[in-house]
Amino acid sequence: MSTIIEFANSLFQPLINLGAAPLMLIVLTVLALLMKVKFSKALEGGIKLAIALTAMGSIIGTLTGVFAPALENFVKSTGIELSITDVGWAPLATITWGSMYTLYFLLILVVLNIIMLILNKTDTLDVDIFNVWHCSIVGLIVMHYSNNNLFLATILVIIIGIMKFINADIMKPTFNYLLDMPDSNPTTTTHLNFMLNPVIMLFDKIFDKIFPFIDKYDFDATELNKKIGFWGSKFAIGFYLGIFVGILGKQSVKDTFELAFVGGMCLELFSIIGTWFISAVEPLSQGITNFMSKKFEGRMFNIGIDWPFLAARSEMWAAANILAPIMLLWALILPGNKILPLGGIIAIGLTPALLVVTRGKILRMIIIGTLMLPVFLYSGTAIAPFVTTVAKRVGAFPKNLPANAMITHSTLEGPIEKFIAIIVGKAGNGGIKNILIALAVVLIYIILFIWYVKQMNSRNAEYTNEKESV
Amino acid sequence: MIKILAACGAGINSSHQIKTAIEEEMENRGYSVKVDAVVIKDITEELLKDYDIFTPISKPKLGFNISIPVIEAGPILYRMPAMSKPVFDELEKTINQLKKNN
Repeated sequence: MSTIIEFANSLFQPLINLGAAPLMLIVLTVLALLMKVKFSKALEGGIKLAIALTAMGSIIGTLTGVFAPALENFVKSTGIELSITDVGWAPLATITWGSMYTLYFLLILVVLNIIMLILNKTDTLDVDIFNVWHCSIVGLIVMHYSNNNLFLATILVIIIGIMKFINADIMKPTFNYLLDMPDSNPTTTTHLNFMLNPVIMLFDKIFDKIFPFIDKYDFDATELNKKIGFWGSKFAIGFYLGIFVGILGKQSVKDTFELAFVGGMCLELFSIIGTWFISAVEPLSQGITNFMSKKFEGRMFNIGIDWPFLAARSEMWAAANILAPIMLLWALILPGNKILPLGGIIAIGLTPALLVVTRGKILRMIIIGTLMLPVFLYSGTAIAPFVTTVAKRVGAFPKNLPANAMITHSTLEGPIEKFIAIIVGKAGNGGIKNILIALAVVLIYIILFIWYVKQMNSRNAEYTNEKESV
Repeated sequence: MIKILAACGAGINSSHQIKTAIEEEMENRGYSVKVDAVVIKDITEELLKDYDIFTPISKPKLGFNISIPVIEAGPILYRMPAMSKPVFDELEKTINQLKKNN
């Protein structure tokens, strides 16, 4: 046995020693070849991922290099401790895809999907391979806190995975309702952001009982979005948040402009580089889809894709636009929050779930969204040390910054799952108290989800009844 | 050259899948097209004027009349040839019509 391990180590250790970007170049190229992609296409994807990883590191370096010192001055002059730079989702996705474990968690979730389809426990075939990184991050957090307990991480990822597939099934009639899709349209999603639905539904029920009159004051979301115009786009956000930090951080006029321009530039670049590694993951996504659809040939199912088919609904953008300044305000007054919202200030990790639960009631979306934002800010603060460590490991973090300079994503999907991952990870180190707390938390999480499934089932029964009575 | 606009939530994932698929398939069918991918929220009436065809995932409410042909490209994201074919066929038909009108 030990000789096998030694042999494997002697084979793989030199590869691992190359660092994340070269390693992933090789791994993704080989994987794409296994998926029968042409060699030149496979290599193109591999090279693009490696360059994306390198580019993300360099943009993170530029952004934190300019913002970290300014934020330090900001802390000094305002007394508000906001020292974590919010880089948004694209860098986190790239960093996570730079870890081999993401491929492992992908395998686990694909196998889980197949098993659930065979056992008829779900009707959703998930082809949204890219977004596996959301579950992978949960697993990686467990490992980070549990001294690399892969077993515990796998268990939590499987639990969340099962719920996500069930959630994709029960949300389907609501998607049809929101987007006027015929029953024959198979679109659904297993995206992690909708795992916040149970909590949002809890609040939505309170509105049903106590403040149903508020829906009368709903306004036209499309009109509002038109008025906001370019002020909600990435470069504009980077620009005026740079000015904001510069002024409150008492920077010179010259430095304030530098913050504004660097902020705008980096937020735009994150998106551009983000598109690079989509094409790197593409062969893998196509290969897995081919394999799965062949396996279940002839069977009708829903197909899980990324959430933006919902982006057609203007309410989610109106809510995101209005929640942005509210989040900035929260960030300034919440004790314990250390994030200055920047890359994640347009909360697309939150508003799709609000849209689904409230079915586009814009005022409910804004009010419940306002109450949810602190959860995101605290979660983003809690995972910042982890994110920074991982970024350093894959070489995507500048070395010359002070030790307390950190990065995170302020509105990362699945904030509750991040807390659970930390708690479960800590339980992995033993101690009866930690284990009991972790068990209790996971139990509450599951019970709340079961309650939510019941609510959604009765909602879906209403849809069916309406159709029958027509 | 036909200019097509794809859109999604961040202008990164879904819209780029649509972009890549359309460019590849239309090239195979002998058409020269260029597809741009943007965040759906950033689309203005002015921006759309620069394009010949709009291919969102599902039909959006933008607050103004869309004066160019709209083809829902959502089925491309299922990654199954049988499901994306109708989208490409419709696209081809529209491109031919646009060419005829010019």
